[in-house]
Amino acid sequence: MSSLVNKGELKQRNGQIASYLIIGAVVIAVMMVFGILMLLAQGGMLNLSAANFYQFLTIHGTGMIGAAAFAAAGVMWYFLRDYVQLSKKIFTWNLVLFLIGVVMVIIGVFSFEYASSWTFLYPLPALSANAWGTVGALLYLVGMLVLGVGFLLLYIDTGRAIIKKYGSLGKGLGWDVISGKKAEKDAPPPTVVASTMVTIVNVTALTAGATVLIMNIINVVNPAFTFDPLLAKNLTYAFGHIFANSIIYMGVIVVYEILPRYTNRPWKSNRIFLIAWTMSTTFTLLIYTHHMLMDSVMPKWMLIMGQALSYANGLPVLVITAYGALMIVYKSGIKWDMASGLAFISMFGWTVGVVPAIVDATIVVNHVMHNTKWVPGHFHMYMGLGAVAMLFAFMYYLAKVDSNLETTILDKIALIVYTLAIISVSGQFLVSGAISTPRRWATHFPEWMGPALFGGIAGVFMFLATVIFIVHFISYIQVRGTSTGSDFDDKKVA
Amino acid sequence: MIQTVAWIVSLIFMLFITIVFGVVVLKSKEKRDYDPIKKKWYKARSFYGTTLVVFFLVITIYTLRELPYNQPVYGEGKDPTIVDVEALQFGWNFSETEFKVGEPIEFHVTSADVNHGFGIYDEDRNLLAQTQAMPEYTNKVYVTFDEPGTYDILCLEYCGLAHHLMIQSIEVTE
Repeated sequence: MSSLVNKGELKQRNGQIASYLIIGAVVIAVMMVFGILMLLAQGGMLNLSAANFYQFLTIHGTGMIGAAAFAAAGVMWYFLRDYVQLSKKIFTWNLVLFLIGVVMVIIGVFSFEYASSWTFLYPLPALSANAWGTVGALLYLVGMLVLGVGFLLLYIDTGRAIIKKYGSLGKGLGWDVISGKKAEKDAPPPTVVASTMVTIVNVTALTAGATVLIMNIINVVNPAFTFDPLLAKNLTYAFGHIFANSIIYMGVIVVYEILPRYTNRPWKSNRIFLIAWTMSTTFTLLIYTHHMLMDSVMPKWMLIMGQALSYANGLPVLVITAYGALMIVYKSGIKWDMASGLAFISMFGWTVGVVPAIVDATIVVNHVMHNTKWVPGHFHMYMGLGAVAMLFAFMYYLAKVDSNLETTILDKIALIVYTLAIISVSGQFLVSGAISTPRRWATHFPEWMGPALFGGIAGVFMFLATVIFIVHFISYIQVRGTSTGSDFDDKKVA
Repeated sequence: MIQTVAWIVSLIFMLFITIVFGVVVLKSKEKRDYDPIKKKWYKARSFYGTTLVVFFLVITIYTLRELPYNQPVYGEGKDPTIVDVEALQFGWNFSETEFKVGEPIEFHVTSADVNHGFGIYDEDRNLLAQTQAMPEYTNKVYVTFDEPGTYDILCLEYCGLAHHLMIQSIEVTE
């Protein structure tokens, strides 16, 4: 489709996309530094005050999720615009609101010592035991709300555009094909299906998030206004779980789009594929209760559902998406480069991260592993080696198709180092979880320190590799639009 | 111990996935027509998918047989000891902290302020059981200690700057 767009317009559009990606990638790199510092402190190598540690914890979680979601939204927008008419204004507004929100959050955390962690569980923002005040809490909570409004606008726009082109969000998910009313050959492409799924789940997530943020804001301003802590927890995890997981569902679009170009093999929607994405849509909305398995006051059926549907949610990725990626690469004669390599690694990261996630969603296991470091173990694997690798894959892909910039041996070394480092970081978290180390502890007992120290050192290598990825992307930004030919996409990668 | 089982099971499946991805990478440089590959591996997928569904169903049913939410069936004349626990920034209020081996105990856990986590650790720092400590709600943990010793209660939900200092010891004797 790129060939239908004139080169000047393409350059301008890619400029916006590049802004999303560079902001996202730089924030992710900076957040890695906070992660390293926390691990080194837990490993006994660095002396951090509790206040600093928990501020770092708060900014690390908020920044990682926010930046990865932001960059992933850029990836989704880049590919989705080829199928539906998206609003450039809304895309720009999201960027502006994101920056405003980020500044507010940073000031709240570092100038006003706000440290509720990114889950801001009610009533912690208002009841800090005098660690932070009203201003810090308001800056953080309102900043998050501003960020959320930007994302909400973006997803309302993607929903509008999909409905306009395909008739409804149901048709965007291909329900008319599933029901047999429409032929498989007319099914919406994978990018549209994934974008529809993300639109549905994230509008829901952001509405839940905005609700609990507003209730927290009122509570901070007027402590006499209280609300049900269990309802607040449900809303918080509904928001947090769905929004965080949507990053991978946006990121996977890059895999759907580029692996077929690299292998010259089609990756089209068929009935099974569409059913899998409808399953993902439904389960992603429902399984947040696996974060509340240790709240026995929850209705028991919701907790059992949390386990059963978490298992079921593994099926679409294990049976359809990962399997599809393996099939398309198998004996394809693919030309490996940074983009295709990272895209394939990202599918590995996602798939392998599903395993400890499913294990933890088992109620009897969760009883002894919830809120241990097992939890960051699995999500660092499928976010760090999965979702974030997808973002880096896109960065290299964009640089390749939109410029004449070549990669060097340094980039390839960075790919290997990044992969090994994030496996090490995730692995040390899993080992820590297996020996019952609690997560979110500023200090560790001596027997818990070893893995944390190892993770901190591995994190340094991961950061260095990320810097190399970013340097390559900045080099691309400086020369972007220098690629020859208007249909360069397919020629260059084939 | 459940943690060890979880770790070994995870390692086995993660290793299997690694091998599969590795083999595909090794075979990726060969070039073959896609249609026969699709035909063969779609067929294999039906088997693989069905196996996975059956496997998940079996594991689900097996692991849901006994849930930590269910009150144990106590023997006649063996009423449990009810222990009221209140978490607060940054400490614990226990109605009782000394217990006997074999004594069935129900910890009724709540919070006076924010969310906390109630995690019971043995002397080797293995997590034995946990629940959330929530304001306005009472969660229950059912425990019978098999070994004498000093057990620590650690906060497992981030609750503020002294979260990691919320440690309370309880004693279990013969």
